[in-house]
Amino acid sequence: METHETPRRRPAPRTAEGGRRLNSAGSAVVVSLAALFIALFLNAPGLHKSASIQPAGWKRDVALGVTGPLESVSSALFLDRPRRALKAALGRSDDDDIDTAVAAPQPKPTTIPPTQTPTPAKRARFTPNHKLGVWIAGDSLVIVPGESLLREVAGNKAIGAVEGIDGRIASGLERPDVFNWFTHVSDVMEQDKPRAAVLMFGGNDDHNFMTGIPEGHEVGTFGSPSWRAEYRRRVATVMDTVTRNGGYLVWVGLPITRDSDQTQRFDVINSIVQTEAAKRKGRVSYLDTYFFFAGDNGGYAQYLEDSTGKLVKMRADDGVHFERPAGDLIAQKVLDQLEEHYDFTSWRSGR
Amino acid sequence: MLFPTATFAIFFMVVLPLSWLLQPRPRRWRPFIVAASFVFYAGWDWRFCFLLAFSILWNHVLATAIHRRSSPRARKQLLVIALVGNVGLLGYFKYYDFFVTSTNNLFALVGVDLPLEARSIVLPVGISFFTFMAIAYVVDVYRGDFEPVRLGPFAAYLSFFPHLVAGPIVRPGELIPQMSSPRDPRYVDTSRAFFLIGTGLFMKVVIANYLASNIVDEVFGAPNQHSSLEVLVAIYAYAVQIYADFFGYTNIAIGVALLLGFTFPQNFDAPYTATSITDFWRRWHMTLSRWLRDYLYIPLGGNRGGRLLTYRNLMLTMLIGGLWHGAGWTFIAWGGIHGTALCVERWWRWRPGFVERPWTRGRRAWHRFVTFQVVCFAWIFFRSDSFADAWDVIHRLFSAWGESSPLVTGGVLAAIAVGLGSQYLPRHLPLQLMARFSRLPIPAQAAVLSLGLLVIHAMGPEGVAPFIYFQF
Repeated sequence: METHETPRRRPAPRTAEGGRRLNSAGSAVVVSLAALFIALFLNAPGLHKSASIQPAGWKRDVALGVTGPLESVSSALFLDRPRRALKAALGRSDDDDIDTAVAAPQPKPTTIPPTQTPTPAKRARFTPNHKLGVWIAGDSLVIVPGESLLREVAGNKAIGAVEGIDGRIASGLERPDVFNWFTHVSDVMEQDKPRAAVLMFGGNDDHNFMTGIPEGHEVGTFGSPSWRAEYRRRVATVMDTVTRNGGYLVWVGLPITRDSDQTQRFDVINSIVQTEAAKRKGRVSYLDTYFFFAGDNGGYAQYLEDSTGKLVKMRADDGVHFERPAGDLIAQKVLDQLEEHYDFTSWRSGR
Repeated sequence: MLFPTATFAIFFMVVLPLSWLLQPRPRRWRPFIVAASFVFYAGWDWRFCFLLAFSILWNHVLATAIHRRSSPRARKQLLVIALVGNVGLLGYFKYYDFFVTSTNNLFALVGVDLPLEARSIVLPVGISFFTFMAIAYVVDVYRGDFEPVRLGPFAAYLSFFPHLVAGPIVRPGELIPQMSSPRDPRYVDTSRAFFLIGTGLFMKVVIANYLASNIVDEVFGAPNQHSSLEVLVAIYAYAVQIYADFFGYTNIAIGVALLLGFTFPQNFDAPYTATSITDFWRRWHMTLSRWLRDYLYIPLGGNRGGRLLTYRNLMLTMLIGGLWHGAGWTFIAWGGIHGTALCVERWWRWRPGFVERPWTRGRRAWHRFVTFQVVCFAWIFFRSDSFADAWDVIHRLFSAWGESSPLVTGGVLAAIAVGLGSQYLPRHLPLQLMARFSRLPIPAQAAVLSLGLLVIHAMGPEGVAPFIYFQF
């Protein structure tokens, strides 16, 4: 066998450029392991949160099994203090907190019984001096259509975006521990008071695991009656939080995806959202995107013709997210729906 | 498997000691490191491993066959077959859909409806990098610059996980000889390795991610919603973001390889201090620029065929270099801007009566400033999804001065300053830091590194965005 033996005697120190000392491979291993070991305790709160917000499965279980005790030890020995101090100095003290509360809005008189359709009101008018605040938010799927929408309305001084595009990767309504949309929606509606919201959720919600379930309740697997009931409650919570003070909500439905199983799961979510939106007619509209991105055979298509007949890439390589032309298409449809509800163009003609 | 993740840390803490234990027995070490590299690669998608295995076998068989043939004609034919295989693989996975849509739309302009259909092909991560390394191997063997090695060493060279998905593009002559004899475990440049990994993590996790999420993505997503000042700062921020992202990745890759006992070539040398575009390409993604020079520009004729042919070769090299970065016209435009700038610089130097003036501090500063503006202008096309988007950015840059600029914050300016300022640090400073670190006792070294990890982890965002260069 081909072998190369290295001398076992203690080596003479050798240096490299700048006089730095070369060390043994053993010290490289020891220093690396020791540094990571200490860093585990110093960063325990963040690691525990990272473990908690992972997708359900054995990896999460193992990660929680390790980081849970690690966080306890770290806290007991005050090793988490430097991290907390650093986070506080950065103004991000809440980073390591896990908030799973699904905060339902206080009942307001504006709540309309499901069977009752409101009388169509005169469209509220907006001008450059009285802007229509639009809030665009959701999971990562909302980012590209959101950018398109902002570009679309850029020339219209009667529309102002609230908070740019509030797209949070890997978030959704199923896992408030990853990002608590219920609290965030409530905060934004309270503080910024947008009159219109464009939301898109569900892209990360097609799983069995749900957090923030009320005590004493149990939720079954994805699509089960109990799962649907809980998810419906969450969708309704968001819709009511947005609309309770007169806001108008356009909820963008999930698109067809490359994976047909995923598309079926998205259908479950879409049907819940569609039903809840129908209960809030005049306050919430549901934008069905499914057929925008289906090919001639009704299946998924990554490339489609745009409005000019040009073949363009509509969907990202992952088979789920949107490319710019798809964003433009959705943005135009959203704008049409907003325009049905609000008048933000007549100011141009001076009427 | 991304470098700045717990998964990679665990993977590496297993691989590092085992690699050193097996180093004295290369016949055991090679299969081990190939297996580890395939595990690393399978972290993205296990199916891509077949592609990597195919590339290894294809290039090994053909390089060996080239070496064994004595007839120049047969050697050339085999080289062509090898290149067609490599370029074909890259072309299919990376450019097929781009070719189909571009051709269809071109013919549609004249009313011809072509039956070509896009196939929604998923781009395997790292394919551009390992294909270029494979081409370098076959061409070096063909030229007689390098003797082919057996399958084991070649597989270890091509799949070696530190460089596998985003470079640096290491030449066979740089890595294979290192792999054919055991590394000396008594002398490992650990302080440089830890310094590179630490700075790489900081640049990627803190600087690049911060700039992306606090200004770049927002402004480039909808430029006409932002003021000219925000657009200007976002362009500079993107210049820093892409540098921090790729420099960060490369540093980690070089550091990881160094801990395993292998030396990779340098990939960046303070590129934003360049005094010309020619100088920039000596400092930016150095392993790609020398690949383009040695395997594209020089075979095209380089500067041997007169001025016009030199201009042509420069343009072709940069256009292809642009296309290498992505299957899109904006990448080609990016390469075109750099190619044009290189041609202009050549033309300037070739003017009758041109005399190289000595560098003064002011002249150097002016050249650096102008070069940086040209590089940033080209980045607009690199970052934009389409020419229309790039035009929106450029138009907005000049049309919305005086509007409020809430995205231009102290944090954004500080991150840009760190990204640019780090390139102007005296060269002896990092050397001094490394020297001091190397003389610390082991517990102190571990403590310093863990504090560094604390700062990076605390300052970074939740989760880690993929490296920009993975998509290439």
